[in-house]
Amino acid sequence: MEYDVTIGIEIHCQLKTDTKMFSGAPTSFGRKANTCVNEIDLGMPGVLPEVNREAVKKAVMACTALHLDIDPLVKFDRKNYYYSDLPKGFQITQQFHPIGRNGYVEIETAEGKKKIRINRIHMEEDTAKQFHLTKFSLLDFNRAGTPLIEIVSEPDMHSGEEAEAYVEALRQTLYYIGVSDCRMEEGSMRCDTNVSISPKGSGVLGTKNEIKNLNSISHIGKAVNYEIERQKKLLEAGEKVLQETRRFDEKSGETVLMRRKEGNVDYKFFPEPNIFPIRLSDEWIKDIQDNMPELPQARKERYKSEYGLSDHDIGILISNKEMSDYFETVTKFTANAKSACNWLLSDISAWLNTHETTIDQAQLNPENLAKLIAMIDDGKISNAQAKKLVDDLMAGKDPETAAKEKGLEQVSDTGAIAAMVNEVMDANPQAIEDFRNGKSRAVGFIVGQVMKKSRGQANPGMVSRMVNEELAKRIS
Amino acid sequence: MIAEMVKDRDGVNERVSEAVEKAHALQESLNAVITFVDPAKQLEEMPEEGLLRGVPIALKDNVNTKGILTTAGSRILSNYVPIYDAEIAVRLQKAGAINIAKASMDELAMGGTNKTAYIGPCHNPWDTRRMTGGSSGGSAALVAAGVVPMAIGSDTGDSVRKPASYCGIVGVKPTYGRISRYGIIPYASSLDHVGYFTRNIKDACVTLKVLAGRDERDMTSSFKEVPDYSALLNSDVTGKKIAILKNVVDGVSTPEIVTMFNGLAEKLRKRGAIVEEYAFDEALMRAILPAYFIIANCEATSNHSNLDGIRFGVREDGADMAEIMTNSRTKGFCSLIRRRFVIGSYGLFEENQERIFRKAQKVRRKIVEALDECLKEYDAVIAPAAGTIAPFIDDQADQDALGEESVVAENYMAIANFSGYPSLTQPMGFVDGCPVGVNITCRGFEEVEMFNIAKAIEEETGLADLVAEVK
Repeated sequence: MEYDVTIGIEIHCQLKTDTKMFSGAPTSFGRKANTCVNEIDLGMPGVLPEVNREAVKKAVMACTALHLDIDPLVKFDRKNYYYSDLPKGFQITQQFHPIGRNGYVEIETAEGKKKIRINRIHMEEDTAKQFHLTKFSLLDFNRAGTPLIEIVSEPDMHSGEEAEAYVEALRQTLYYIGVSDCRMEEGSMRCDTNVSISPKGSGVLGTKNEIKNLNSISHIGKAVNYEIERQKKLLEAGEKVLQETRRFDEKSGETVLMRRKEGNVDYKFFPEPNIFPIRLSDEWIKDIQDNMPELPQARKERYKSEYGLSDHDIGILISNKEMSDYFETVTKFTANAKSACNWLLSDISAWLNTHETTIDQAQLNPENLAKLIAMIDDGKISNAQAKKLVDDLMAGKDPETAAKEKGLEQVSDTGAIAAMVNEVMDANPQAIEDFRNGKSRAVGFIVGQVMKKSRGQANPGMVSRMVNEELAKRIS
Repeated sequence: MIAEMVKDRDGVNERVSEAVEKAHALQESLNAVITFVDPAKQLEEMPEEGLLRGVPIALKDNVNTKGILTTAGSRILSNYVPIYDAEIAVRLQKAGAINIAKASMDELAMGGTNKTAYIGPCHNPWDTRRMTGGSSGGSAALVAAGVVPMAIGSDTGDSVRKPASYCGIVGVKPTYGRISRYGIIPYASSLDHVGYFTRNIKDACVTLKVLAGRDERDMTSSFKEVPDYSALLNSDVTGKKIAILKNVVDGVSTPEIVTMFNGLAEKLRKRGAIVEEYAFDEALMRAILPAYFIIANCEATSNHSNLDGIRFGVREDGADMAEIMTNSRTKGFCSLIRRRFVIGSYGLFEENQERIFRKAQKVRRKIVEALDECLKEYDAVIAPAAGTIAPFIDDQADQDALGEESVVAENYMAIANFSGYPSLTQPMGFVDGCPVGVNITCRGFEEVEMFNIAKAIEEETGLADLVAEVK
């Protein structure tokens, strides 16, 4: 039986701000437990919330980038529930008036471009982190109060691949505009995926299951695909799909039951009385929107029109903002953007992988990379020689100096090459004879011998041209 | 009185010691103090200048004081030592005030008797068999007994203005947003006000100057400039239009209080004020208490969700965190509070919220609109602050019962919490040796107007600087 698959995704994204959503305590990742907290984050009696202006700005940026309508009247509500990671016993969120509504993001699918609609974006605060040990539990309140936006999609996705593409598109966008670190593995971007299936064309939505604990983009596709198959098996066995919250297990690649949902929890939402509605001025919003950093989509188009890069290369470059930024710096020093792109995506990326570092951490000087490209383009060194300079380049060395030290200067001196060509031909009369008899591979043999003689330093283009000329002369 | 104290720079230590001694001496008969605060360090660090320099004061025990036990009158907070100071604690300190006591209060300020304090009831200095009223009863008792000239309270329904009536002192609740609530353990955020007690109107002016002003940490606090209340104080009420709340006067159960009040109105007329009866829609007036009760308890149940024994407060054992929270909350609150939390929670449930909580908020708006209508024409509304003198402590009346004849007269003052408008109670006379107060409410941020009318009343009654002799 064929099925329709429906997927909706809720994403919690920590905003990149210096301080928390409603308190002046610093935001942090990986700091010593309970050192980035004040009385507000701990929910001490008598504290009041103070809205973080920067967080609102970041939320406005996110809404703008994702084409949402912004509600200029910012209101907050309380979501009431008891849990040990929720210090106040309620979370301040935006239940009734989210800051943004009705947006979309464009994804690439096998069938081409597709818009995934976004229902809403709202601001809220993060909870504390819990560590449950055998005999006791530990609570770290550093995360408590960290600004979040929750991005709720419409159920517009129909496969694991689309779900992945959606999250990747959001991750790229929010990362590019500096709204969030979007580190799924560190939890600064968390993804709850709802999956349901129903008989094809039935038009009825099946019972949905929510998958949590998806801490990398590739897990999303795996989890969704597993979940689709699991639900299919249930239905085909004549069983019912129950409404569940499930967790993705990385090792087995399966989703595992966390809890069954028995009716919805009543969070007793009501407007937060300690924050009067805040009117965002048109000028303030416009100022933010006029000064938006470049979006990845715009950058893609620019790379195509400005540098003529291939879609494939653009895709790889854009997916790594630091690499893409670096590429742009290099292009300030060289007109050969294609070559810059090739170097960054091949040899330099390989070097970074081997050395487990990133481009923004490396010592590579963009001017030096441009210089290396110029040296190749000017025929001063060969590509093969240039590859030998990667280690030096990555150590911050000037490629000219390094090439000299290594004796890697390409011989482009016509006389020197002519002498070597003649020497090789004199020593290999059989090759000339072969050539005369129409065996064209003799050319390659002679070129190879000349290159060998020059220890790889002869300009291969010149060698090839001169060997051909000399052969023509000798057989005429 | 405060101004004279501040001028007497040599008398600080003696004055503070006397206050401390008196507070201790009266503790057995009043039970007004939860924690005595050693003034030594404060005296050392006292600023050279300040509107309250060297003046002994007391704080209601819901004002967070760093390093000093702050219980809010509740068992669950009976071991809570704050890591921070409330904004007003800092302002008072900067003005040179010396805090000598954390005063008793109804548990979490959720009462009007001061009988629910976990340390037991507070006794009225005028007659110790009687209650002080609440929830700021300890603060009221300490001012009325002459221990301190000023004490901080908080007022969600009438928690400063009712005890002021029962204790024969001035109780002020300024406009919502006039004084920062940062660091005040809440009852209901949209109704909570910081208030205070003094023994005369002049002192009330000095005190407000110290407490008022914008605080970044309280987003509901006002940016409005703080006037020099003392300098602006006069008792000229000529041409002032004052509305008598007829519904309240009609509901007062003690005839002497009505007579006394009418006499006062006449005196104001003689001073040139235009004093007229004004009747509100009785149905709206009767809706004040139920609307108040719902809004206050709905907000309270949420506000106090942080009291779970996990991060602070008295923790009860349990198998896991959920059980620890449940046990701590079950044992930490008295049954009245638990009942109110249940009611508040019920009113917030999704299926009930529209017809209970949201409806109460709509009723609140209607009531405020009616008050606004009246204040378009009048500069102030006045009425007796209570229908009786302070009741006896062992009177078993159910605090939460509705429907009695005096429901309007005993609960109308919440109208100033609904609107956020400034309101004060001051002594008007005595019945059976116990004080009775009159209440004035003005337009938002018109504290100057309110103090001027109050000053005129004070001159007419001669009831200023009353000190009860505790027997």
